[in-house]
Formats: sequence, structure tokens, C-alpha cells
Amino acid sequence: MSEAAGRAAPEKRSISPIFWLLFGAGGMLAAVFGPALILITDLLAPTGIGLPENFEDYSHALAFAKNPIGKLVVLAVISLFFWHGAERLYLTLKDMKARPLLVLKFGTYGVAAAVTLATFALLLSIGF
Amino acid sequence: MSEKRPFTRPIASDWWAHPPYRAYTVRELSGVAVAVYGAVLFVGLVSLWRGPDSYGAFLRFLKSPVSILLNLVLLAAVLYHVVTWFQILPKTMPKLIVDGKQVPQARITTLVLRAVGFGAVCLVLLTIGFAR
Repeated sequence: MSEAAGRAAPEKRSISPIFWLLFGAGGMLAAVFGPALILITDLLAPTGIGLPENFEDYSHALAFAKNPIGKLVVLAVISLFFWHGAERLYLTLKDMKARPLLVLKFGTYGVAAAVTLATFALLLSIGF
Repeated sequence: MSEKRPFTRPIASDWWAHPPYRAYTVRELSGVAVAVYGAVLFVGLVSLWRGPDSYGAFLRFLKSPVSILLNLVLLAAVLYHVVTWFQILPKTMPKLIVDGKQVPQARITTLVLRAVGFGAVCLVLLTIGFAR
């Protein structure tokens, strides 16, 4: 698939594929689990429809966040959802000719990176 | 020697707000709704880290009409994301050939949407069942 000429002269590599990967992972995660997650955590549990009052109370939520698998789920969902939104918002605003691009990058990818690091730190701080 | 003759076709600055591009804009912004739900969870995690009082305030927010309305909008937007995501899927993968015939893209979208929809309903029902 790759041409010989491409191999002979290594070009400057783009880091875009990293963002596409995060965008795709977040998009797939949201497409498979997004609606069910929103329904469970933000609609059924708070209103008590079908789920008990204490479903996501402090002790349950804390136990989930202390569990290693729970931590992984929380980190994956929060960070990948942000990376997905960041890629779409950045490219849309860019196509809308919003400028400067550096500000757009900080406001999208920068926010996603900051939230990822913060989520990681919070989960560590909450402990096991 | 090639002479540069740049010509850029003029385009209205609000091109994205009109058909046929509007559908594209709406689809892209439905991806932002995904991030907004991530933000709700992130706020919940921060309040959980701060302690029971802070987390209690977060739960009270989730029970508020503003939150219910916000999350109904998020749910609708994310459902739109699901449908458009699996409409894109067949365009991004190699041709699927079964019995020497190419499976139409719309057919792939329908089958995947059914499987994912079934999985989501099972997930919600299982959660309700186990939480009893």
C-alpha cells in the first residue's frame, strides 16, 4: 500500500491519528453505551423510576470509584467522551472559520487533556 | 514552472446553517452532547472527591427539573449520535461480501443499530433487575 517513494523520504509525521483514535474510541463508546448510561445515571436513578433511591448515593458512588474496574470505567467514559466532543467541536469551528486556531485547540483538545489528567488525579486521590 | 492562479469560490459565512450542510453541523454538534454528559459525570466525580455534603448537592441538582430537562435533551442528541455513527460505520470499513454479494451499507447500519439497541435495552433492564 505505501509507495517506495514514501519510504525513501520520511516526511514529518502528523500527530492527528492520535486524536482520531481518541475521537473514534469515544464515539464508539458513546454509540454503544451512551443512551443507557444517561438513562440510568441521570434520569432513572435521580427520579427513582425503576431504581432504588440509594442507587447512586454517596456510599455506592464511593464504592464504585474505589473499585479498580469502576475507576477504569469512570476514566474511560469521562476522558474519551471529552476527546470525542473536542475533535468534533474543533473541526466544526475550524470549518466555520473561527480563529485563531491556537485558541480553538486550547478550548477543545486542551480541555479534554486537562479533564483527563484531573479525572486520573481525582480517582487516585479517592483511593482504593 | 507553474503559475499560481488562486481562485477561491466565495462562500457565505453561515454556510453551515443551511441545507445540505446543516445535517452535517447537527451531526457534529451531537458529538458535543457526548462531551457534555462527560462533564456531568466529571462534576459528579469532583463532588464525590470533596465529600458527602458536596456530593449531596450534586444529587439534588440531578433531581432538579433543570437537570431532567438537560438530560432529556442530551439523551435525544446522543441517540442522534448513535444513528449517525452507525450510518458512517459502513463507509469507513472494507466492503462486506457475503455469498459473493456486497452487503448494502444501509443493511449494515440497520443490523448494527438493532444489535446495539437490543444491548442497550438489556443493559438498562439488567441494571434495574440487579438493583432491586
